[in-house]
Amino acid sequence: MVVIARRLAGHLARGVVMILVVATISFFIVRSIPGDPIAAHTQKLIEQGMAPEAAEQATRVLYGFQATGSLWEQYGDYVAGLLTFDLGQSVTHAGAPVTEVLGEAAKWTVLPVLAGTLLSFLVGIILGVYAAVKRSGKLGDVLAVSGSLLHGVPQYVLGLLLSAIFATLIPILPGDGPVDILYEPGFNAGYIGSLAEHAVLPVATYTLAAYGGWVLAMKSSVVTVLGDDFILAAELRGMKRSIVFRYIARNAILPLFTILALSLGLLLGGAVFIERIFNYPGLGLLLIESITMRDYALMGGAFLLITVSIIVANILADLFYSVIDPRVRSGEEVSA
Amino acid sequence: MAKQAPGVRIDGLTVVYKTPAGELPAVRDVTLTLEPGTITGIVGESGSGKSTMALSLLNAVQPPGRIAAGSVEIDGLGDVVGLRGEELRKARGKHIGYVFQAAQNSLNPLKTVGKQLLDLGRSHGVDDLRGLVREAKELLGRMGLDGARVLDSHQHELSGGMRQRVGIMLALVLNAHLVVLDEPTTALDMITQANILKIVREVHAERGLTTLVITHDIGVVAEVADRLAVMYGGRLVEQGPTRHVLGAPRHPYTRGLIRAIPRLVGDIAEAQALPGRPPTLATVPKEGCVFRERCPLRMDVCDTVDPEAHADGARAVACHAVTVKEHA
Repeated sequence: MVVIARRLAGHLARGVVMILVVATISFFIVRSIPGDPIAAHTQKLIEQGMAPEAAEQATRVLYGFQATGSLWEQYGDYVAGLLTFDLGQSVTHAGAPVTEVLGEAAKWTVLPVLAGTLLSFLVGIILGVYAAVKRSGKLGDVLAVSGSLLHGVPQYVLGLLLSAIFATLIPILPGDGPVDILYEPGFNAGYIGSLAEHAVLPVATYTLAAYGGWVLAMKSSVVTVLGDDFILAAELRGMKRSIVFRYIARNAILPLFTILALSLGLLLGGAVFIERIFNYPGLGLLLIESITMRDYALMGGAFLLITVSIIVANILADLFYSVIDPRVRSGEEVSA
Repeated sequence: MAKQAPGVRIDGLTVVYKTPAGELPAVRDVTLTLEPGTITGIVGESGSGKSTMALSLLNAVQPPGRIAAGSVEIDGLGDVVGLRGEELRKARGKHIGYVFQAAQNSLNPLKTVGKQLLDLGRSHGVDDLRGLVREAKELLGRMGLDGARVLDSHQHELSGGMRQRVGIMLALVLNAHLVVLDEPTTALDMITQANILKIVREVHAERGLTTLVITHDIGVVAEVADRLAVMYGGRLVEQGPTRHVLGAPRHPYTRGLIRAIPRLVGDIAEAQALPGRPPTLATVPKEGCVFRERCPLRMDVCDTVDPEAHADGARAVACHAVTVKEHA
């Protein structure tokens, strides 16, 4: 336990430093993008046919403030805000705190991504085991080929295909938005049913897109373990099939847990295409929106959230690994 | 029920491997008897078929290999070649203990030795798991290890010599009386080798076992085995009491092997390597003697007729030249 606690402390310290570094870099990158939201909005109003002075006036009324501090002052404010979990206000959301806007969007991303990833992980590893055990038979071939094919198709192509087929050609599922506006939000059957119905296509896309990778990774992992001496040894000692199977499964799944934890971190940022396709108001869509609108605070917040989720996923993966693999766990005990 | 050391009769055993060039024999027509209570050593180079032979005793030849002909009769079990499924599984471990090469990782890296011991007990329907653990600790203690500590360890926390003793413990803990050791001392340092061999000898005597040791190291066989069988190219070319075979080898291959051992004293150049190289699965001759390409006593008949093993008292040699000389 002491080892794990010490390890956790080290990770957290490194994580905080890393987050600060990324926050700094993304702050300056975002600020060096040409154009600013005020100018962009004025420009938009002028394009819509408003007179330049009127457009400027309208913009000032809309935002209610004008940035005055130098870049370094802004940076100082930003970091000071970070320390109190204040990411500033989103200019495109009528001055709502960025954390609130992100939190609102996050719930539309986290649940479908989590569901899709876990579903594909479960299905993928189970079929991957079959693909490995039956690798010289037809079933194994079918599974391996399906895995390779799906693994090769980009997520957005899959999303478009599913949307085209199930929402347009045979319109049996909704493919636009997270929920039907007919229903009163709340804990009632209609609303929840509509939520679930709208989640089917995005979740299916996440699942199918990730499934191939899991099947292939699990297959190769199982094949490697099957060739390990201790499996033959267990069989020659007359171990029950179920026990030998557990030995194989536990050893084979080990490296996949790391990939799982890391992919959960990555998927928060990878939801951009899918949310665009299904018009899901999650973090991906929010990120696109904040970039087109030059919403600095929101952009920085979104980048930061993605960074933090990846760093946290890394820490979790490492800690989790030391729980499930005794070789990692005792690495420090021996030298202590 | 006190079990006794079983006798083993291997008769006409042929094991083939499926290759793109068809099914090729790795072990061909081997006949060998393990007398109850003896230690038999099988010596051979890599690829001579000795490990395949060892696996055959548990009917565990791995695909693409299969036992094509012959039988392996073990007292109390019958013909192992005919065993299938659960019967076969229960025979493994309980009647026949198998000890792996020390360098091979024969333990699940994620579980402690103790947990794997319990898995073994549950697999074989042992009700008294506490008794099993006690027995394991005794065996480990007998081999000079701290039983409690070893049972609480993972594989990576044990040295090669310790692992090998754990392997021997796992092979014996269910009270198996036939033990097969596959290269038991390979990849161990000399002192550990000597320790392991001493343990093998002592445990063999104490528990009343029938033991088969597979090795490429004639020194190992000389140390522990009562009887010695020499394999070459999947054939058993010579067998007999260890002392006789090593003292007066008859088959030209056995002679060549012994001549190739460097002496502790004297010129290193006195050791003469066997010319040529051993056959692989693909280059083993289809007919005639397997050793003729490297044989100093080669005759015309060797090209066409595979020599039968001729028994002479406790010894048997499969060589035309030796047979001719003796009958001349």
